[in-house]
Amino acid sequence: MTELYATAIFLLVLFALLGGSVWIGLALMGVAWVGMELFTSRPAGDAMITTIWTGASSWTLTALPLFIWMGEILYRTRLSQDMFRGLAPWMRFLPGGLLHTNIAGCTIFAAVSGSSAATLNMVGKMSIPELRKRGYPEYMIIGTLAGAATLGLMIPPSLTLIVYGVTINESITKLFMAGVFPGLVLAGLFMLYIAAWHFVRKDQRPEPEPAMPLGKRLAESRFLLPLFGLVFVVIGSMYLGYATATEAAAVGVVGALALSAMQGSLDWATFKDSLMGATKTSAMIAFILMGAAFLSLSMGFTGLPRALAELIESYQLSPVALIAVLTVFYLILGMFMDGLSSVVLTMAIVEPMIRAAGIDVIWFGIFLVVVIETAQVTPPIGFNLFVLQGMTRHEIGYIAKTAIPMVGLMLLMVVILVIWPELATWLPDNIRQGPGG
Amino acid sequence: MRDWQPFLWLPLWVWLFVFPTLLALFCFWQGPKAAVILSPVWRVLDRVYKVAGALAAGFMVLILMLIIGQMIARWSSLTFPGSTEYAGYAMAATSFFALAYTLTQGGHIRVSVLLNLNEHTKFWLDAAAMFVAAVTATYFARYAIKTNIVSEMLNDRTQGQDFVPEWLLTFFAMFANAPSKWAEMWAQTGSEWVYTPVWLPQLPMSIGTVLLAIAIWDYLTRLLALRESQIHGDVLE
Repeated sequence: MTELYATAIFLLVLFALLGGSVWIGLALMGVAWVGMELFTSRPAGDAMITTIWTGASSWTLTALPLFIWMGEILYRTRLSQDMFRGLAPWMRFLPGGLLHTNIAGCTIFAAVSGSSAATLNMVGKMSIPELRKRGYPEYMIIGTLAGAATLGLMIPPSLTLIVYGVTINESITKLFMAGVFPGLVLAGLFMLYIAAWHFVRKDQRPEPEPAMPLGKRLAESRFLLPLFGLVFVVIGSMYLGYATATEAAAVGVVGALALSAMQGSLDWATFKDSLMGATKTSAMIAFILMGAAFLSLSMGFTGLPRALAELIESYQLSPVALIAVLTVFYLILGMFMDGLSSVVLTMAIVEPMIRAAGIDVIWFGIFLVVVIETAQVTPPIGFNLFVLQGMTRHEIGYIAKTAIPMVGLMLLMVVILVIWPELATWLPDNIRQGPGG
Repeated sequence: MRDWQPFLWLPLWVWLFVFPTLLALFCFWQGPKAAVILSPVWRVLDRVYKVAGALAAGFMVLILMLIIGQMIARWSSLTFPGSTEYAGYAMAATSFFALAYTLTQGGHIRVSVLLNLNEHTKFWLDAAAMFVAAVTATYFARYAIKTNIVSEMLNDRTQGQDFVPEWLLTFFAMFANAPSKWAEMWAQTGSEWVYTPVWLPQLPMSIGTVLLAIAIWDYLTRLLALRESQIHGDVLE
């Protein structure tokens, strides 16, 4: 009975601190401290620092700041303009026309950036005004952008996957590889949706783009080629086993600096801004991870994860049913929290559950990203909605409404992942083992 | 409250928790007057956070250098012993040094559903949240320092293959000793490289967490004195 009381107090403190707008990292530490005091006689403070120090000084984590930095450098280049100009002439033949630049742009930028907010900003900055000028309907422009930007979290590099991998101690390279095909399939679904709109709402089609000779098209996309090169080097070196995730990130940073210098947009101010921006974002995530490391230690003492895993087992819940339950759970959680926090907060409890149910943890990472992405475009807390609000000055409600079809497509993606798990697991199973290991 | 030995005749927790709370209450009571008194302190502290942020950025560049160095070493079939440990230390340093800077720039995230309800409750909730955060951060810093000192006392060494020169150790150890001992310390310092003692890479943890705790108390006093949150961040970047 006292056990039950203690658990109730523990959960109450958890909700009070998080809901009471204490910074996530410190809120997690506070809750973890309460858990330690309630459930064990171990000295909480010393255990806390030992855990946090081990986590914070780990080599695996170094991929995080470098990938963030790479994205920050590219974010400050003129890539946005070049991307639209380079992509537009190739997209004009597709049914749905230049709306596809939203999807293609997000897919490409997702391959060099780990966050969806950065992807959204980068692509939207140019494509929103350009598409408006050409008379595409507003709801299609904004809706497709809100949806496609979430690819930033799925296609490697992905900050969410790094955090997930560090939290459950799985190979980040494998997780990155697992995200490639599901990311492309999701992009494909978005493009199909645009094509469907093209055929169903004929009245809303804008004037087709004027034709452009092949030579000019190539000239316009000359800036895209180095970017493609960078993507292939970063992802390819991981796949072929030449580099670990961290090394690929270092190559990415150097490549991004070179690209930016080539474009003439690299000066001391942009270098400094990118570095300081990356330092901040990296510290923000590292801080959450510190809190999470202590919380998962404390959570182990509460017995909550084991009890829940046993509960799942006693219900004989099938993996599919468990996934369905977790989907709903994460969607609700995503209404109040950002994606990273919901991953670190829940993994201590969810990990034993999924391992007990025999679900592949690499696959689960991808599933988690899709669900979290979906939460990014549903109100009341959806980071992508906030960014789009800042960019377009529309009401949150309106933006959320335009994104509803995308939410449907992402949930469809969850179903696809459940039916064909190989989509996520095939590539990581076939990575070549290189010297980096 | 075991484990909180007295310091200058008062238990340590009085120094760490009670005095800052009294200062915060003073700021709330005096309002703008307290702001006048404290604003020179605020200016200095803001500079300190910036310097720590720059230091953190420096360590981020160091991570990049270390990893590139490791790759070059591998390609040219040389060995770079301990490179992963060094990169890990640099990772810890960049995270810890940047904590306070990130806080003051509005970079840390929080669940703001209740915070954005209305202007009146916002002030009180923000103050309460910052108080809880300040206490937690102070606790964090206190144990970070304790762990750091214990590592030094036990002469805890790295598990990896990383070495540091002895003079570097003496340089940092100087600050923990009286100047009268410095000459003797340097006289004993050899030119060898030794296995990294854990206390050295843990120094940024102690410094960074102390700065974070100071920053939160600092911004709590600013909030209470000026009746308005002084953390203005670009919410998303």
